[in-house]
Amino acid sequence: MNITLLYGTETGNAEMLAEDIQSELEGGHEVDCQNLEDFAPGDFDRDAFYLLVCSTYGDGELPASAQPFAEAMAAAAPDLSGVHFAIFGLGDSEYDETFNQGSGKLAELLASYGATQLGERIVHDASGDDLAEDLAFPWAEAAVAIAAEKLSEAA
Amino acid sequence: MTAQIAIVGGGPSGCYLAQALLKAQPDLQVDVIDKLPVPYGLVRYGVAPDHQGTKGVIRQFARLFERQGARFIGNLAVNEQISLDDLRAAYDAVVLAAGLPGDRSLGIPGEDLAGVHASGQLTQAINEHPEAADLPRLGKHPVIMGNGNVAIDLLRLLAKTPEELEGSDAGPGVSAWLADSGIESLQIIGRSQAGQAKFDPVMVKELGKLAGVTIRVEGAEDSDDPEAAKKLAALAVIDGHGTGRRQVTFRFGLTPVALEGRDRVETAVFRTADGGEERIFCTAFLTAIGFRAEGALERDALVAGAADAEGGKLGDGLYATGWFRRGPRGTIPENRADAQALAKRILAEIPAEGSGKSGRAILEGLPDLVSYEGWQRIDTAETAAAPEGRCRVKISTRARMLALSKASEELR
Repeated sequence: MNITLLYGTETGNAEMLAEDIQSELEGGHEVDCQNLEDFAPGDFDRDAFYLLVCSTYGDGELPASAQPFAEAMAAAAPDLSGVHFAIFGLGDSEYDETFNQGSGKLAELLASYGATQLGERIVHDASGDDLAEDLAFPWAEAAVAIAAEKLSEAA
Repeated sequence: MTAQIAIVGGGPSGCYLAQALLKAQPDLQVDVIDKLPVPYGLVRYGVAPDHQGTKGVIRQFARLFERQGARFIGNLAVNEQISLDDLRAAYDAVVLAAGLPGDRSLGIPGEDLAGVHASGQLTQAINEHPEAADLPRLGKHPVIMGNGNVAIDLLRLLAKTPEELEGSDAGPGVSAWLADSGIESLQIIGRSQAGQAKFDPVMVKELGKLAGVTIRVEGAEDSDDPEAAKKLAALAVIDGHGTGRRQVTFRFGLTPVALEGRDRVETAVFRTADGGEERIFCTAFLTAIGFRAEGALERDALVAGAADAEGGKLGDGLYATGWFRRGPRGTIPENRADAQALAKRILAEIPAEGSGKSGRAILEGLPDLVSYEGWQRIDTAETAAAPEGRCRVKISTRARMLALSKASEELR
């Protein structure tokens, strides 16, 4: 299965986590890792599986590198039916009102154009005790397992 | 041989620059020099002790030294122990990322009265910087002058109950100082109108979680500007918050003209928006109105004489990034973007194979330099000794830092 990791980052934390997930999954799969700002709505491929890692910035907004992607999506309004993704969020509960809204917004954005989310959106709290990778690696393994089943059904 | 780059300043700007350089060209030799024995600059000594999530970028920077090959050289003050000219002669590029450590002053009469404190100095004391002054006495009614994120940080820390510092790295001295402050009222005063305040709305909304305060926002006038509207909306959310004992009041449109008092500041005198005068009683006056260059790097002269200071180039093989380049504006992500842009420029301008310069050999023989391993020993000691409710207890003197950094080498 071809896996594409897409990250939306502002301080680089989501980028580092995405790269770590890539290393973790490599070996078993073809894994590509891209910044959302370098990814166009037309690049989505129904045969691939998308793992998204996205932080939150400012007042619950998408991080800087996801914003051009969101704008391009709005302009292109692509049909993403048949595209499957899972999403992992980074946030800080110190700002509880907007905690992890960035990843939530990105998930809604993809779903609104017909993409299917697999599994729950898992979120990391920068003010908590867990390391992001300790939540993200099991999340990625589980998501890839679900996707392997889904995508083989479709094929 | 590969090109050799020295970055002066191990704070977020310097670390992000090293990261971008090594990501693009992994075999570069990148040395990150800091005048302190410990890295991370304002992430360690500026980001508030109760904002540990924000300090999470340190994990990226640690990787820089642990896996990406950057070298940390601490306890080395450029233009004190080694001249900038000597450093430039030894490296293919030298990048100044030393920030702006000085406090801007108001330039009004009475500013040197006791009880008047600038936010940079106060923040250093709160964060246990080894060169910080003692924590000052603030009395029952301190006033904070300024409307940026630094002012909001100070306000929040001074307003917090001891329980609200749970999980922070506030040290025992600071924690006791805050717990025993006896503060009854906190006024935060902006020169501009509320909509033009510089704080991030999310920083203001965070105040709506404080347990021990009653918050009032006075004179926040409506605005059609969308950015201003966000700030006003955040202020509206916290206006009226809480029933706590500590009164927090936001005021706007007041320009300070004088500070008065006999032995220490007692009254702050302001000009109002309509040209009138207002006198506000205070037991301390804390200015959070920005930062400026200070110290042996002579930043202002370097920037003034530069051909392309705006583009981060100060001279042949000499560059600047972060606050050192652009002035005291912008948070961690903006300094990351700045560093990434400068990394591209440097890589395009220097010879990839280097030019056979001596590089870090020039530092040999300088006393008491601290390596990344030395910092790791300090870091381990700080986290191991953290008391209940704290994630770390900082070592606050240079002498102890140096002793700890060398500890295991002496055992060998």
